[in-house]
Amino acid sequence: MKIFKKNSAFTLVEILVVCGIATVFLATAIMLFTNFRRGFSRSEGTAILMQEGALFVARLRNDLNNAVLVPVIAGNDQAQLNSTPDRLSFSLYSSREAKALPVVYRYQASENGGSVFRREGNDNERVLIKDRVASLTWQTELERFVEPDSTSSGTVRLSIALDMQLEMQTGSEKPFLLKTSIFPARLNRQLNVP
Amino acid sequence: MLEIVFSVGILALIMLPVFMTFSSGNRNIMLTEGEFRAHTAALELMEQIVSLPFKQISTGEYADAEIINGGPFAAGPVLFKLTPAKDLWRELKIEDIKRDNKIVFKKVTVTIKFTATKNSDRVREFFMKTLVANENI
Repeated sequence: MKIFKKNSAFTLVEILVVCGIATVFLATAIMLFTNFRRGFSRSEGTAILMQEGALFVARLRNDLNNAVLVPVIAGNDQAQLNSTPDRLSFSLYSSREAKALPVVYRYQASENGGSVFRREGNDNERVLIKDRVASLTWQTELERFVEPDSTSSGTVRLSIALDMQLEMQTGSEKPFLLKTSIFPARLNRQLNVP
Repeated sequence: MLEIVFSVGILALIMLPVFMTFSSGNRNIMLTEGEFRAHTAALELMEQIVSLPFKQISTGEYADAEIINGGPFAAGPVLFKLTPAKDLWRELKIEDIKRDNKIVFKKVTVTIKFTATKNSDRVREFFMKTLVANENI
């Protein structure tokens, strides 16, 4: 007759092995999660920069595609397409108001990151990108293409070369770079009217 | 012992897809960047064709080798102005749309082929189409 029932239990070796495997497993999981967190915050910053850059370019492209030449009025130097390192101005046809309105893009450079502003007509100036522009250039280029032996004045093409770099202030994110040319369709058609 | 090893293995297999989803976010952002580059390149090519006077928009198909920065468009006086881009190929197709034997529209199709991510062999395609009206009719 058995008086004491034998208790089943883990041996010390078994417990040590389980602890070892669990430690390795947890360490791997923590390492993967930490890497993911770091990568995610970097990607999130990159996505924000890309979104801001894309929205700005879409806005500028849309404005320039609706830009028109208006008769020069004395003292109104914003009537035509003008570009300086910190300013891009032109007249935009507003279908809402059925007239051309002056639009001014302004770049304010800063060591901590520049900003871009936009003003349309008499509205208040609005911020398009705040403190994230590392560099920005917009350069107007007017080309004329004439066929050899032709008596015509040829084809005129106006374009705006845009070169922009956006950066987060933390600097760990991948900067957003954009280099492209914009061809204002309405302006070019006006310039080539016979 | 065998049971422990099995249970850890099963747990690892369950956790694997969870960790794989972590990296998919980064991959998607990389892809969006590629798509944005393709979109910008398509707009750049499309706009310079659309900006031309109607009679200078020459009908035809143009392969990537013919669409070079500074190269002529349709053997004409107008030259392409393109921003250099790596791992990106351009194609251009211009078709006439006629009515009563008159060209009323030109259909411009720009195709951009680009690699999905850096050092990837997978090539994606991006299309952009528009119509240019003949304002001389």
